[in-house]
Order: sequence, then C-alpha cells, then structure tokens
Amino acid sequence: MKTAIVTFASTLLVTLGISAASADTLSDVKSKGTLTIGVKSDYPPYGFLNDKGEIVGFEVDLGKYIAKDILGPEGKVELVPVVASNRIEFLNSGRIDLVLATLGVTAERGKVIDFSEYYVSAPGPSVLAPAAFKPATWEELKGLTLCGIQGSYFNKRLGEAYGINLVNFKTQPEAYRALKDNRCVGFAFDDMTLRKKLEDDADWKDYKIAVEPYEYIPQAAGIRKDDAAFLDAVNKAITKAEAEGKLIEWETTYGMPHSKYIAERSKKAAEKLKL
Amino acid sequence: MLTLDYSWLADPVYQHWLLRGTLTTLELAFASSGIAIVIGLFGALALTLRIAWLDAFVELFVEIFRNTPPLLQMLFFYFTLSTIGLSVTDPRTGLSMPLLSAFSCALISLSLFGGALCIEAFRSGLESLPRAVTEAARSLGYTRWERFRRIEMPIASRICLPALTNIMTNQFKTTSQASVITVPELMYYAGQIYNDTFRTAEVMILVLFIYVTLVSLLSWGMSLVERALAFPGYGKGH
Repeated sequence: MKTAIVTFASTLLVTLGISAASADTLSDVKSKGTLTIGVKSDYPPYGFLNDKGEIVGFEVDLGKYIAKDILGPEGKVELVPVVASNRIEFLNSGRIDLVLATLGVTAERGKVIDFSEYYVSAPGPSVLAPAAFKPATWEELKGLTLCGIQGSYFNKRLGEAYGINLVNFKTQPEAYRALKDNRCVGFAFDDMTLRKKLEDDADWKDYKIAVEPYEYIPQAAGIRKDDAAFLDAVNKAITKAEAEGKLIEWETTYGMPHSKYIAERSKKAAEKLKL
Repeated sequence: MLTLDYSWLADPVYQHWLLRGTLTTLELAFASSGIAIVIGLFGALALTLRIAWLDAFVELFVEIFRNTPPLLQMLFFYFTLSTIGLSVTDPRTGLSMPLLSAFSCALISLSLFGGALCIEAFRSGLESLPRAVTEAARSLGYTRWERFRRIEMPIASRICLPALTNIMTNQFKTTSQASVITVPELMYYAGQIYNDTFRTAEVMILVLFIYVTLVSLLSWGMSLVERALAFPGYGKGH
C-alpha cells in the first residue's frame, strides 16, 4: 500500500511538472522561421496522402498560405499528422503551433483553445450502412449499435439525444473493418469522409449514406488560449486568402463541391479588405 | 502551472461511464484470472504426466500465448476469427454477425495469455518441491494422482502464490488494452471523457488512482490468502 501511494504521488508530480507552452507563438514562430501545423493525413479532401506519400489537401494549402503570410516567402512549414483524439493535446503541450485538422467549432473545445476565423461550414455526422439498411432518420437508430471514432465531437450527443449504442475505435480502418464484419449496423462519422469513401472505394459499392447529417458546424484553426498576437496574424492570413478567392480555388483543386458558405465569406472578406 | 479542474465529474453521464468502466474492468480481470488459474492447473498437471505429445502441446501453447503481445492476440481474435467464418445469424436483423463479442475476444485472449503464465508458475512450484517429499509420499503408498492432489499441489501452490499475485495484477492492468477492440472498460471510457472535456491530465490522474486502488486491494487480498494458507516452512506468517 505504501509503495502504491509513493507511485501515485510521483506520477502526480511528473504530470504537474509539464510546463505550459509559451503564450507568444508569433515571435517563437518568427525566430524559428518555421510554422508547425497539425493536419489530418487520412481525411480527404482536407488533409491526405497523395500517390507520392506527401500530405496534401485543402487545409494543408491553407496552412502553407498562412505560413507564407506570417513568415514571408522564405518561411517553412512543418506538417505533423494528428488525429481527432490527440490534436488539442498536441497544441496545448506545444508540439504544434496551429491545428488545421477538420476542427469543428464547439463550446467544449472553446474552453481549452481559441478558434480562428471560420473558413468552412462542414456537415456533422452521417451514417454509412449497407444498401439494405432500413432506418433513415436519427430517431430510428435508437438502441442500435453503431461504429464510431474516439474523439469525435458528436459522440456524447449520439448516445444521449438519440440513444445510439456507439462502439468507438481509435482509427478509421478498424471501424470500416468492423462495419464489414457486421459488428455494428452502421458507421457514424463525418459526412464528408464517408461520402468520399463511397465515391473512391469500389469495395463499398453495396453501401450508402443511410442517415443524413443533422447539423452543419463551422470549421476553424485551433490556437492556444490567450495568444492574441498569433491569433490576429492567423486571422489576417485567413481573411486575405478568402479575399483572394484562394479557398474557392482549393475547392476546385481537391474536387469539392463549391459551397455557398465559402463563396459568401470570400465576398465579405474582399469587401472588408478594400475598406 | 497546471491547474486541475474536476468540474466535469459532476456530469452524471461521466459518473455512469466511470462506474460502468470500472465494473467491466473488474469483470474482465477476475474472469480471466480465474480461467487462467484453471488453465495453469491443468497445464501443470499435464506436464507431470510425462507423456511426450502432451508435453509438446503444453509447451507449444505456452510459447505461443506467453510470447505474443496480448494486444495483438485481441486484435487477432476480434478481426481475424470472424473473417474466416466464425459467425452467426442475428435473428433480429437477419444479418450474419461475428460469433465472438468484443468482450469475449478480450476474455479469451487474456485468459490464454494469463494461462500460459500460470502454467509456468505452477511448474516452477512443482519443480521446487524437495525430492525427499515426493519420495516420502511414494514410500507411504500414495498413488501418482493422490501424490499430486494431496502432497505436491498443496505445497507447490503455496510456493507459487507470490508469482500468481504478480500474474493477477498484471492481468488487471492488461485489461486496459481491450479498449482498442471497443470493450467498454475503464481506459475506454477515460478516452471518451478526456476527448469530450480535454481534461486529459485530470482524467488520467483519476483513472490512475482507481487502478492503484483496485490493484492494491487485490494484492492485499492475495497476501491475506497467503497468510491463511501458510504452514511452517512455506509462505508468509510462519
């Protein structure tokens, strides 16, 4: 029992010993000459690996644009692949300076990080299920077992509001495998990813989007709390990219449908910068 | 300076998750330890029979399940066995679904892993018996089975109790790996909670405390067993 208490106490001290990351990211980034960005590497069209194994995508291009805007043409970008369950930890522990990883804006997240200007309005979860699957609304999924991913912002709501029994995997390949094995009747996940899977992967031709998203939420860059100068610099860069029509350009590059949201933001940004 | 914020603990959803997670961890740990001890007894008994093919079988079993990571075994049972056809038809949906649930897969792999360790623990106990004891029993006219049951195993099991305690505490901690195949135990729910609240340090500290408490209670219980079973010359309390 005594050893147990000592172990516990020392672990506690180690945990408390982690120092908070610097609150002036802008000058740190400028002195390094490098912006370290957490991006997705398994999430087309936002961040994914191309045939050469490089990370590319809508948010990756946005990240590179922000880096050039802050650091000038010589500025370097370091891309760190993150997943939903570790990206905020990576940011707050100082491993990365900026999160551009399909980060939906939610109140819970707003308590621990700051959000930049919103740049995309993304559909929330939908459900991928076999073509023969009958339920078509969220209410009809009550009591059914669905596969999910740990760290998705909507998991608690799916359980509480819709009574869905979610079994959450660490990464997507396991969830897709489990769906194929019928360990769950459907896979509840970000609509964009599931649609891409249906489009791009012939293995999934007998599947469909069974239930449509119940909400759209804005997506933004994540920045450490109380880091005003850096937040300001990132916001300026995003607004500039919008005003120049870059986001619409990237929609075309990555085969995304042109969204009204981005077009409107682009118009507003252009007006704002002319003033 | 890191400030700890435990306000999320007031949420009944999280309380329910922690409780359910702890109960699943306990179920998994005790059930798999129990089966592991039974496997250990039978394995060690099989080895005393000195039948060549049986020895080879037990040794192969130990090699396979002791020398591979439990995490890999769980993933193997979870994803592979259902793919090669171990499935049943669900009467409600008419769909074919895997025969083994996530919990069963975790229980099987933990039991086999622990079982392999228990065989070795019991074997070490049996092998450390003084030769004189076996010879004395034989001269008194005990048959081979009686000798095993009444003389060898009672002494050997006392000798290997500390090793069994190690295996059981290990078993307890290894249950946390079952979160990977979605078994809703303590680590699984801990992940859910800190993904929701981003209070990673707080959740980890609390979960650490729960594990330390449970495992300490277990080793305390085992030391009571050791004391109760002790007799002169063997084990604690003499």
